[in-house]
Parts: sequence; C-alpha cells; structure tokens
Amino acid sequence: MKKNSWINVGFQVGALVVALLITTLLLVAAGAPPLKAYASIISGAFGSSNNIENILITWSPLLLTTAGVLITFSAGLWNIGIEGQMTLGAIFATGVLRALQNTQLPPALIIILGILAGVIGGALWAALAGALKTFGGVNEIFGGLGLNFVSTALTIYLVFGPWKRPGVGSMSGTQPFDEKLWLPSLPHTELSLWALGISLLVIIAVYFMLRGTHLGLRLKAVGKNSKAAFLMGVPTWQYSMFAFLLCGAFAGLSGAIQVTSVYHRLLPNISNGYGFLGLLVAMLINYQALWAAPIAFFFAAVNIGSVQLQIQYKLDSSFAGVLQDLLVLLVLLGEGARQRFIKKG
Amino acid sequence: MRKNVLTIALLAMTIVLVLTACGPAATTVAPATSVPPTSVPSTQVAATLPPVPTVTPAPFIFGMLLVGAKNDNGWSQATYDGGLYVEQQIAGSKMLYLENVYSGSPSYPGLTASQLADQLVSQGAKLIFFNSDDMKDEALKFANANPKIYVVGVSDDWTWKDGKNYTVSANQVDIMGRMEYMKMIAGCAAALTTQTGKIGFLGPLINDETRRLAASAYLGAKYCWSQVLGKDATKLTFTVTWIGFWFNIPGVTADPTQVADNFFNTGYDVVISGIDTTEALVEAEKAKTAGKAVWALAYDYKTNCGVAPDICLGVPYFNWGPAFAATAKTAVDGTFAENFQWNGPDWTNLSNPDTGAVGFAKGQGLSADNGTKLDAFIAQLAAGLNLWTGPINLQDGTAYLTAGTVATDQQIWYLPQLLEGMEGASVPSK
Amino acid sequence: MDVELRDIDKTFGAVHANVGINLKVPAGTIQGLLGENGAGKSTLMKILSGFIRADAGEILLDGHPVIIHSPADAIQHGVGMLHQDPLDIPPMRVIDNFILGRKGGLTIGHAAAERDYKRLAEEFSFSIDPDSYVDALTVGERQQLEILRLIWLGAKALIFDEPTTGISAAQKVKLFTALRLLASQGKTILFVSHKLEDVEGLCSRVAVLRQGILVGEAKQPYTTKNLVEMMFGKEISVGARDPCAGDGKTNLSLRDLSVEDYRLKVQNVSLEVCCGEVIGLAGMEGSGQGLFLRSVAGLVRTVGGHIFLNDTDLTGHSYHAFKRLGAAFLPAARLEEGLATGMSLTEHIVLAEEAHGFFIDWDKGRELTRKRIADFNIHGTPASPVESLSGGNQQRALLALLREPLSLLLLEHPTRGLDIESTIYIWSKLKDRCREGTCILFISSDLEEILQYSDRVLVFFSGKVTKPLESKSLSIEKLGELIGGKGWPESTSGKSK
Repeated sequence: MKKNSWINVGFQVGALVVALLITTLLLVAAGAPPLKAYASIISGAFGSSNNIENILITWSPLLLTTAGVLITFSAGLWNIGIEGQMTLGAIFATGVLRALQNTQLPPALIIILGILAGVIGGALWAALAGALKTFGGVNEIFGGLGLNFVSTALTIYLVFGPWKRPGVGSMSGTQPFDEKLWLPSLPHTELSLWALGISLLVIIAVYFMLRGTHLGLRLKAVGKNSKAAFLMGVPTWQYSMFAFLLCGAFAGLSGAIQVTSVYHRLLPNISNGYGFLGLLVAMLINYQALWAAPIAFFFAAVNIGSVQLQIQYKLDSSFAGVLQDLLVLLVLLGEGARQRFIKKG
Repeated sequence: MRKNVLTIALLAMTIVLVLTACGPAATTVAPATSVPPTSVPSTQVAATLPPVPTVTPAPFIFGMLLVGAKNDNGWSQATYDGGLYVEQQIAGSKMLYLENVYSGSPSYPGLTASQLADQLVSQGAKLIFFNSDDMKDEALKFANANPKIYVVGVSDDWTWKDGKNYTVSANQVDIMGRMEYMKMIAGCAAALTTQTGKIGFLGPLINDETRRLAASAYLGAKYCWSQVLGKDATKLTFTVTWIGFWFNIPGVTADPTQVADNFFNTGYDVVISGIDTTEALVEAEKAKTAGKAVWALAYDYKTNCGVAPDICLGVPYFNWGPAFAATAKTAVDGTFAENFQWNGPDWTNLSNPDTGAVGFAKGQGLSADNGTKLDAFIAQLAAGLNLWTGPINLQDGTAYLTAGTVATDQQIWYLPQLLEGMEGASVPSK
Repeated sequence: MDVELRDIDKTFGAVHANVGINLKVPAGTIQGLLGENGAGKSTLMKILSGFIRADAGEILLDGHPVIIHSPADAIQHGVGMLHQDPLDIPPMRVIDNFILGRKGGLTIGHAAAERDYKRLAEEFSFSIDPDSYVDALTVGERQQLEILRLIWLGAKALIFDEPTTGISAAQKVKLFTALRLLASQGKTILFVSHKLEDVEGLCSRVAVLRQGILVGEAKQPYTTKNLVEMMFGKEISVGARDPCAGDGKTNLSLRDLSVEDYRLKVQNVSLEVCCGEVIGLAGMEGSGQGLFLRSVAGLVRTVGGHIFLNDTDLTGHSYHAFKRLGAAFLPAARLEEGLATGMSLTEHIVLAEEAHGFFIDWDKGRELTRKRIADFNIHGTPASPVESLSGGNQQRALLALLREPLSLLLLEHPTRGLDIESTIYIWSKLKDRCREGTCILFISSDLEEILQYSDRVLVFFSGKVTKPLESKSLSIEKLGELIGGKGWPESTSGKSK
C-alpha cells in the first residue's frame, strides 16, 4: 500500500513535470524567458489586491460548474451541455430582472427571484438534454452540444432583438441593469461575497452529497452500472434525470450570478467556457469533490495571471488554456501509465 | 484513486511559486527588460547611479485596450498608432496594450475590460485608453473604481456636459473625431463613381455613432449625385446592411464577406465600409478580378487602401495621435481634467499627422476626373458647406431639421434614425 | 503444437496466484485443468494467452521459448483462448465479429470470409446465421462462434475457460464432439473446469491446481475420489435431495401469462407457487425460460395474463413494484447486470439496503458488510471492489445483497461457474430462504441441479412450456428428452414464432 502510494505520487509528479516542461518549451519557442514568464503569471494573479479579487470573481462560476459536472460525472453522464445551461440561467435571470425592474418590488427580492429563475432556467435546459437522452436515446454529448448552439442563437436573438438596448444593435449586450439590481459587491469591484459564499456552499454540499448520502451513492451506482443499480432498486432514469437537473441548476445559478454580479446584463458568450473549464477541473481531480475548490482556484488564477503573458511578452493569452489543457491531458496520461505500470508490476 | 492527484496540483502551484521567487532576482540582473516601478523617487535612482548627473524622469506608462487586433488595418490599428504617437511625443513613455478585448472575447474567458485594465495598472500604467464603444460601460466603471488612474474613453460621451449621458467622472476624458465630414467625402466619391446608382454601406453594429456616420456618407453621396453630377436624387439607391459588431465574430455576427458579396451580386457597384476590418475591399477586388466593375471605400486607417489599391476610391481615417498625446501630457503634468473632445479635421492640410483628428486619403481606384470633382467638394466643405442643414427628414418621414436649420452637435451625435432616402434598418429589427 | 509452461509465477498484490507452475502438454492432447474457484487456473491460462504477463517463468511452443505480449501476439503464435465471459462485442453481426481480429493486409473480402465461416461451421456442425446479431446469441452460440473464429485465425492450441457453464446439454455434446475433432487434427486443447464429470468424460490427462500450486496430475482412467481430494484437500459428498416443505399457502400465482420478444412467444403459462417452494426452469439456452423469468420479475412486459404476488395483481407493473412486494431478481451476468464495477462491497450492501435518512452511516454499513462477508463466506473485505472478487465470491456477494425477508426470489444460473463447495454453500443459503417462506424460481443448464433442488420443474423448448412437473417423477433422461424437444404432447401451451 505504502509502496503503491509512492508510485502514484511519482506518476503524478512526473505528469506535472512533463506538463511544465512542455509549457516551458512552448514559452521558449514563443521567445519568452520561461522563468520570468511564470513569474509574470504569478504577479498577474496575486500581484495586487485587485488581481486577487478578480481571481475570486472568476472562481465562483467555475466552482459552480465544477460542482455540477461532478454530479453528472458521478452518474456516468458527460454533460457537455453545461455551457448552454449556464447561458439559459443567464437568460432567465435577465428576463426576470427586466420584467421586474420597473416594479415596486424591493430590489433584493427582484435579485433573489432573478437568481432563482436562473437556477430554474439552467435546470430546464439540462432536463431537455436529459429527456433527449432518456426518452429519445440521444447521447447526452450530442444533445448537449446541440443545445449549446441553440442557447447561443437564443442569446444573440434576444440581444439583437427583443432585449436590445434602445436604438442599439450590437452584440455588446443588453442595457445594463440599474445599480440597485446588482448583487451587492465589495466597493469598486464586482467581487460579491454573496456569489462567492453561495458557490462555496454549493461545492461543499456536493462534496458531502457524493460522499455521504444515499442520493450520492445511488448516483454513483447508476454511473457505474445502471443495470445493476436498477436491479438493486434504484430508479435509474429518474436518477440520471435528477443528475442533469441538479447540474443544470448549478450551471444556471452560475449564469445568473454572471448577470447579477459581473456583467449586469446579458451578452453573447456569457458562459465564457466556464462549463468546459469545469469539466477539465473535474477530470483533473479525478472527480474527487474534495479537491474541486483548490484546483478551480488554481485555474482561475492561471486565467487571470496569464493576461500578463500578452502584456509583457505579446503571447496570445489563450496560453492559459494551453497550460490548463496540457495539465489535464498529462495527468490523465500519467494515470493511464500508472495503471499499466501497476498491472505489469 | 487517490487524493494524490491533488498533491499534483498543489505541487504545481508550489513549483510555480518557487519559480516566481526566482523571478524578481532575475529581473534585477537584467534591468533592460524590466519595468522599474514608477514610484521610485528619482533621488534614489541617482543614488544608485552616482556618476550620472542628469536626472532621468520616471517613465510614463500608459495602457491601451484594443477591441480588435493592433494590425487590423482599421479602427484598432488607428488607435494603436495613436499610442505610438504618444510614445514618440512624450520622451520615456511606454505603451502596454491588450488586443481583442470585447464582451465575451474567447481570448480572456470570463474577464471584463476593467479587470484587464487592472492587469495593465499592475504593470505601472497610469493612463488607460479604452478604445471602443463596446467597453463604454467598463471604462466608466473602471474610472470610478480607480480614481487615481486616468481614463480615456475613445468614442464615448460620458463627459460631454451637453450630451445625453453626462456622468461625473473626474479622471476621464472622452475623445472622438468628427468623422462625419470624411464620411461625406467618402459618400461623394461613391456617388461620383457608381455606374448603377446603387451604393452599399457595410455597417457594423447599430448605435448613435454608426447611424450618424452612415447618414453622413449618404448626405455626401446625395449632394454629389444631385448637385455635382446633376442627376435625379430619387434614382440614387443607398442601402445600409449591418453585421452586428465592429468586426466578424463567426457564429455571432453576420459575415461581412457575405454581406459585401451580396451587395456586388445584386447590382451595387460601390461599397462603403463602416466596419473595423477590410472585407469590403477584399471582396471588391475579387469581384473585379471576376470581371465586375466595382469599387469600395475603406475606413478607419490611413493606409487601408493598400489592401486592394486598384478598387479603392479612398479612405476616411482617424488620426488619433495629436489628441491622445495632448491628453497624455496632461496626465504627465497633473493637469488632467474631465473633458469631452469632438475634434475636427485640419482643413488646411487633411493629411497632416500632427494636426487634424480625421483625414481622407484618395485611392487609386478614383478616376482623375472624379478626383478633381472630389477635391472641389472638399474645398467646399472646408469653406463652410454644411450638409447637416435642413430640410432633413428621418427615415420614417418625420421632419428632423426644417429648411435652413443647421443641426446642433447633439442632433448629429444622437441621430435617432437613418435619413429619408436611405434603405436599411435604423434600429435593430431582428 | 506442444505447449510447455516452465516455472510460471504470478502475484496479484497479496495473492500468489501461480506458484512456479510446470506443465507439459503434447500436441493432440485434451488436457484438463481442474481446481476450485480462485485456484489459479484462469490466471495460468491468461498468461499463456497473453492477457497478463507472468512475473517469472517461460513459455515454450513446440520446444521454442516465446514471449507473448498480448492476445494478438498469442494468436500469431497459434494460441487462442475462449473466455468464461465471451469477449465479443455484442452490437455486431456474427460475420463481422468473425472477421474482427484478422491481421490487416490480407484484405479478405466479406464473401470469402463468409465462405470460410460456412465451411468451418459445417465441419463442426454449428448452425449460427452469419447475419444475425451477436447480442441475440446464447452463451453457447457465442462460444461456438469464438471457436470458429480462433480456428480461422490459425489457432493451434485452444484454451477453454469453463466452457460448459451456461450452455445447454445439447450444446455441451456438440462442444465435446468439436473438441475431440480438433484434438484428432493435432490441435492442443486446454480445458479449464471445476466440473469433475466434464473433465473425466473428455480429457485424456488432467492437472489439478489448488491455491496457485499444481498439486498433481492424472491420466485416464481417473478415480473421482482422488481428483476431489486433490482439488479440495478433502472429499466432499453431494448432499441428498432435500425438498423444501412449504406451508401450502399460495405465494406467486401466474394466470395465462404470455410474453414475447422478437424471436419467441411464451404463451398461457399458469402456475401456482407456494411459500417455500422451488421451481426449476429447464431448457436449452434461449428457449424462453429467460424471458419468462424476467417477465415474472416485472423486467419484461407481459402481453397477456396476470401475475399475482401475495394476492396483489402486479401485471404491468415495473420491477421496482415487484421489489417493494418482496421480489428479487439475480441475473446470470454478474458483472454486467448484478454488480457495479468500481464500487466496494460496503457500497453495494448500503445501496441494496433500505435507506434510512438522508446521510449514510458508513460505520453501520461497514459493520453490516463485515457480518454479511462472514455469513456468506465471501473472500474479501468491506472495501474490496467487487471486480476484485472471484466468480464464486461475486455470486455469494449477490446473494448477500438480498434483503430480508423475501417472498419471491428469481435466479438465473445461480451456481454457474462455481465449484462444488460454493454450489452447495449457495444452495444451503437458498434453502434457508425457502424455510423462511421465500419461493424460488431458478434457471439452470445443469440438469442435476434442477432435479436436486427443485420441487417442480417447467421445461422450455422453443417457447413451448410443459405443465409443472413434479421433480420426483423426473429423471435426467426424461428431462434431457424434453429439453431436446422429444416427448412433447401434440398440443402445448406455447409455440415458436
């Protein structure tokens, strides 16, 4: 056992070293001094209180999408449609805020209703993917991808059409909401402790749900072997559907938070790839919810910090994505190699 | 499996942190590439460099957020060049910039323009240019959140006391050029050249700015069509097609290549570009190669005609340098104050890089004869011809300016619709 | 081909699966390999066929040492293996499955392959339509397909891992005929089994493994007592028939039940089962007994008739409604349908128990699991993933998942692939259930098992079903005839489609 755990660590460190090595080579190839480039990422991420706040702002939606995919992964589902679910959350939240912004309702209530609507919107969109899978036999990957396209088209329609800014036809988004409809944030930032608190609560809840509840165990059984789970008394399609709904709810919450606390309006691509990034985080942590928070934080920090690569070294800032993808890929490869190694050894 | 996967990630962070620790040491060894903090008092610099008697001023660092690419041959390149001009004019100044900054840009997933401005500030920038209307709200928000940083909102109107959107923003200056005149010239060149009497306007998104520029082009075209060529104004077709953003975003905007092709395939022989990028010129050249007699007018950037010189009738462009430099100087000497600038051309020399805010460069596609006529038109404008004079009706027929009334700046800036006689959407209808 | 294994050694974690095994098998021999579950037979054969690598030792084929990296490698060397759970890919046509695995470059056309397939099938008297789909085949038919495929690929030594489990008596006869034919052609047959009867009837030599060690070899004629002693270290006697005495109260009542799938119709079956009664379902694989059993579990929708469980009409209800009234179904495909790979025994036990509250009390779950492990003699720990257990232990684990009390237990092949000891143990557990009033319906291809443990028997043939027959009135011969389609009255309750 001891020996094995050292082998595990060895493979993981190996994967990490290789990832850093490749990244370093890429940096060199791009003409950036690697050590200074890494240093610039760190300073871009942690160099000022503004930057740290920005990490916390991006951490929150990433935590939520990661929490969501942990649930669907647990049930054996690849919920690629999470981007669309997040978008629908943003659309529903925007819709409710728009409908109620001129009423006499207290702003706090409007915000709460908006966020709830986002949760429902995300869940409904996920239910659609789930229904396609359960009743239509459409693989959730294809269904999800299709629904992602539909959600993008819907956003563009709304932004250019019914919800356009008066006299404006631009993809810059809808008219920003009045400040009273913003989720309260720390002064002069978009950092909302509410958003952060809710996201952390959600990831903690998901951790406990997957680890210590009958619900979590049944989801896992459905994911591992739905036939066996069915024979053991688990209503399998209902649980698959439940996993979709819950994941969609978290994605929708994430979208609603983008609207109420970051952008204060609806705009195309409001999901910003957070759903896909959440999938990456979940894969990197091998679906262990315990690690979701630190790794999501790390990814958020890389996202923020690597802007410096463009400022200082004129590297495309999508470099952050390359680093994240490499890390996940190599850790998965390392895990495969480890299993082969253990089998042979 | 294993908590150990996580050890991995923690290790990753640790390693990176260790690397970072090495970072600053490395910078001190190679000061040439490092950016010394601006706050270092000059006396200290003198102390570390005893034999040098002259006191070097702390470098002035400013940042620029570009909506597109710095080499887009259009709007972003023009503003980027404005930044280079500042570097030239203010000794020791240095520009930091980020490209492709717009809502939902995949280059910065989840980051807003103001967050990106934070990154520029953390590298020492004291003045930030937000180069697009797309960042209008972000510029104001950033200015309010960072009272010690100076902000320039290019094309914004927050600080226009007589504007509709005036908002107190003490550390902000908004700058725009009076492109209306140059668009009139472009419209005139199009009308002089068209054989079919059908002019297309490749529009970006719809807002106050784009409406007034499209309308100005129409006014110029109508004037030259009827007054210079003496043709029937009702026989001139002027159609605006909007793509939805300043440049093509696949899957989100309409494709400007297709829009331009569509114009050329339906009898329009001159297309005036109103977007940041060069699709109109590229497609016109293709159509010409295929045997069609077509032309295009470029936009934004002085040498934009170079993309397809043969078919280019000319380019109305921005010359941001002088205004940017003047504003940056106030930031350096501490006299920076909230104001709004809508700068006009230098009629004495339209192409002087050190004076006018806007200019027009004729293209090789313009015939010599039409060139002469166009020069005459420009001379009239310089002499005070104002096409924004009534009677002017809005597209829906309502009177906007009664006969003889000259439009106020507000009436031009906040034009609510396209004008009577223009085809295309005044407000988004999708 | 002569096959020789020298000093083969293999360890899995703490388990020493093969301890320095030496075995020589000359060409044309049918070599038996006996041993109880977990004795190391499958490991040894997987080493020979390239699925796993030995820690030490060497393999010689026709006297030449070879190194086998993979199953593809093995077949290149002429070694092919048929697994206990057929490894083919279900949603494929038979002929495509047949061609699969052929080395590229030969570009054998479908037509040529199909000709070869038909020729080989005829040679061995197998009759599987090359255009049917593999997932519609019985285990026995899949096995036949796999034999044809391996021979076509050029196998000169064939390994059979428990080939007689899960196939019908008639298929077994066909299989043995085919094996003898192969041996007479000079091919080497390695026959892995725990069934004495099969080994005695078929193999010219036998090697016995116990706890990873080759404990002895024997040649025909064998003495059963000797073999059993080698296998278990002690002699085990098969228990006497012990019918359950129910209390006479009707528990399960089927009235004119009809069920069908795309191949078969089972019609108008009526049956009253008392508490504690055991009903055996006999028949060749795919004769309708599987369909029937699943319909009584609510897993397959019936097309006519009624099902009453404890006087409640459950017709048309789902499996979970049956389950709520105390029914349970245990599938034959343990790792495909019964257990969830990647989950531990504790997780299975907790999952199968009724949930109390929202949170799981893992301590209580582990406690319960430890108790079940002891009760059911499972070799494993609460944290063991189910796939790490041997087949017999998986089957015991499945039984350990059943709740108490049950009114109806439906079993597919409850002892398939298990050694005698496990079989006896499992039936003792099942009989305990009967004494508590559970009635049992089970499918088995093992006629002795049917006769020994059933009170009454239903025999299936192409969807036709006999009236319930008192097992006392039946003999193996009579049962075998019925299964083979002989001795049926003219008008029967079902007919094939």
